[in-house]
Amino acid sequence: MNNLAKFILGIFITLGIAWLAFVVGARSQYGDLQPTAESLEEDGSVPVDSDLFPTAFSGIAKQGAEEYAALGCVTCHTQQVRRVEAGYDVDRGWGLRPSAPRDYVLQDHVLLGNSRIGPDLTNLGSRGHTNEWMHQHLYEPQSIDSSSLCPPSPFLYQEVDEPVHSDIEVSSKPTGGNTLYVRPSVRANRLVAYLQALKQDYELPEVSFVDEEMEESTLVETTQGPVAADLSSAPTWLQAQIDAGKEVYMKAASGGGMCFTCHQTNGQGLAGQFPPLAGSDWVLGDKSRLIKISMYGLMGEIEVNGIKYNNVMAPPGIPPGSLTDDQIANVLTYIRNDWGNSASAVSAEEVATVRASLKGRAPMQMFTAPELIPPVQ
Amino acid sequence: MSEESPDQIIDRSAKYVFSFFLSSAGLWLLAAALFAYLAAAKLTDPYFLSTCEFLTYGKIKVAQANAFVYGWGGNAIFAVSLWILARLSQAEVRGSVFLIFAGVIWNLAITFGLLGILDGHMSGHEMLEMPSEVWPAMLVSYLIITFLALVIHRSRQIKETIAPQWFILSALLWFPALFLIAWNGLELNPSRGTLQTVLSMWYGQSLIWLWLTPVALGAAYYLIPAVLGRTIDKYYLAVFGFWCIAALAPWSVLHHLEGGPVPMWIPAIGTVMSIAMVFPIAVASTNFHSTAFLDIGKVWSSLPLRFVIFGTLSYTVSSYIGVVFSLPAVAKITQFTIINEFHFNQRVYGFFSMIIFGAVYFALPRITGREIPKAAKSFHFWTSTFGVLLLLLAYLLGGLTHGVLAGQPTLPWSSSVIQSVQPYFLITKIAFVILAFSQFVFVINVWRVIFPNPFSCCFSNKKEVSA
Repeated sequence: MNNLAKFILGIFITLGIAWLAFVVGARSQYGDLQPTAESLEEDGSVPVDSDLFPTAFSGIAKQGAEEYAALGCVTCHTQQVRRVEAGYDVDRGWGLRPSAPRDYVLQDHVLLGNSRIGPDLTNLGSRGHTNEWMHQHLYEPQSIDSSSLCPPSPFLYQEVDEPVHSDIEVSSKPTGGNTLYVRPSVRANRLVAYLQALKQDYELPEVSFVDEEMEESTLVETTQGPVAADLSSAPTWLQAQIDAGKEVYMKAASGGGMCFTCHQTNGQGLAGQFPPLAGSDWVLGDKSRLIKISMYGLMGEIEVNGIKYNNVMAPPGIPPGSLTDDQIANVLTYIRNDWGNSASAVSAEEVATVRASLKGRAPMQMFTAPELIPPVQ
Repeated sequence: MSEESPDQIIDRSAKYVFSFFLSSAGLWLLAAALFAYLAAAKLTDPYFLSTCEFLTYGKIKVAQANAFVYGWGGNAIFAVSLWILARLSQAEVRGSVFLIFAGVIWNLAITFGLLGILDGHMSGHEMLEMPSEVWPAMLVSYLIITFLALVIHRSRQIKETIAPQWFILSALLWFPALFLIAWNGLELNPSRGTLQTVLSMWYGQSLIWLWLTPVALGAAYYLIPAVLGRTIDKYYLAVFGFWCIAALAPWSVLHHLEGGPVPMWIPAIGTVMSIAMVFPIAVASTNFHSTAFLDIGKVWSSLPLRFVIFGTLSYTVSSYIGVVFSLPAVAKITQFTIINEFHFNQRVYGFFSMIIFGAVYFALPRITGREIPKAAKSFHFWTSTFGVLLLLLAYLLGGLTHGVLAGQPTLPWSSSVIQSVQPYFLITKIAFVILAFSQFVFVINVWRVIFPNPFSCCFSNKKEVSA
């Protein structure tokens, strides 16, 4: 301790060992991760012609990441879904699966964050919010959620008197709920592009989606007995249809249904906004109504299990209204047979019949509840 | 002029350097207090100053932490370390011009760094948010100061070194090492993916454990015996405590990544080493408190020591709480909540700053020959104590509320989880106002002692020293 050189050597050795582990060791362990396919061949090779994940951000989204870092969004928002045993993240619907180191390898700014005064944003881009919603939220979060503590960023927008098509309509609280129009700046557009690009909606060889049935076991117990058992004893053709339907329900990419973004992975919807599917009188009731909604969407007031909702359900599918007869049959069969629901399957033939009966209807013309409820009780 | 004792000669040699660093530290403390108030006010009313982009919450919050750690913490570390090292070495502070020159660069670098943050050039790396353009200036100025501190230590009269020297020297040397590692891994030779997060979190958390903490511990090891006039009780444990911190602390900080997208061994080893930290904590606590309680009356009557003992008690409590909160079962609730704020403020405010206040009140009269009025010191002590305890209580209870409610997936996020935490934000705002007052009184008094008459200070130095 009295010899300065030896002392300095000592304190650098203690620091150096930790450095070897956390910096050198960690780097050699996973510093060279590359994008890969959702699942690998048995010999560990990447299947030919498969999409690789994660994908790189577009140029504008990368610029948006710079804005996100510069504004200090990371102070309140994390971008990591913890493992199921370490936290509530998957239960809250913040992700279909825990985040993995590989998810971040193509990002210049890795902003995992350490504090959640705001919600986690790992999968913000797959929650189905429109760009307009994002802009409204950035301009004034309280115009969408009056209890939000997120600071408004009016400095990213310009208030305009004569709105054009791309301007954003906001009902601003400080002005007493008056509607005003704001024009997004380039920075605001970058930021929204980045936020829409935040998604971990693919599986990786090392991490797959959290098994819903296992996840929901507590929920199932409190509602209607052990459904998981029923499902496993279902005939093979039914099980196949349910599995295929679940994929449509969960898929937020082209060809998917993206249903979970509103009705949630647990089929419970969101109180006051999106009706539940679990135990819903609509889901368990008349099939033709369900088929119609799956093709054309639904708007206006609707009463589900005695509770009124008033929202817009765009024609499901990406792009909207693109679900095939098979997909509709599968996804409806799935929602009628999960989360404690148990009702007859829907076949592609039934869907085709309904489709034929609606031949004259303009595409994308959403149904309203009165159209679907038979006039005579 | 009368005969001067060796201590007086040393104190006089440190006068300009100590005054410079301390008065800069004071200004940063006030800046941090202002930022802290603004940030807290924005959490109680999101519309507060929301049209001003410079003052958006994310920037203010980060600017506060940086002003506090590098501005107040850095300058205070320089002032206190140089003086304690000079006293213990019985050697004069040499190269004052270079020290002050380096200090000016350090302060300019931080000023530009904070302006950079507010102007939208934040880097996003924990505790390294200042734009990388200012990092070279920080490192160079820091190395000059450290070099001159080592010069003081090398010219020491007594070859035998003691605990305060170990702690202060290692803190001075660990910082540039950590800084270089982080700089290399984040900017020069950037790591990919979450390796960045591992490194920046390791840096940010180690900064507290390996830079602020050892200086405060060293100051406590110096001040307690100096004021009480007795040796540290069970001093033979101190060497064990020191090497435990040196060996364990750098491992113990990454448990904050529990459950995250990093290899599982990283948070796991952090948890294990956090638990092992009970040994060095117990050693420091035993050394300080068993010495202090031998003469508790004297501790109470000496204001500098009262600050120091508040700090060491706070260290003990906060560190043990930190150990509990690193256990996976507890971390599941507290992770990502405002308990983080509790840890940060407990450590940099309740522990580090309180000990620095004590050291300043002890050193300042000896160096300048002028006393701060007792009423002002007493006011500072009570308002600081009350403010810190209020702040920590609010963050602790608020953090537990935050964690428990967040863990119930059916509760909507902002309308129920965050709304329930909001009352605690109001309390922190009040606490920050109290602390700002307290710090204002401290800084004003320090400045009045350093610059009793700003217009004649250049001519009357000698007289005041001998007076």
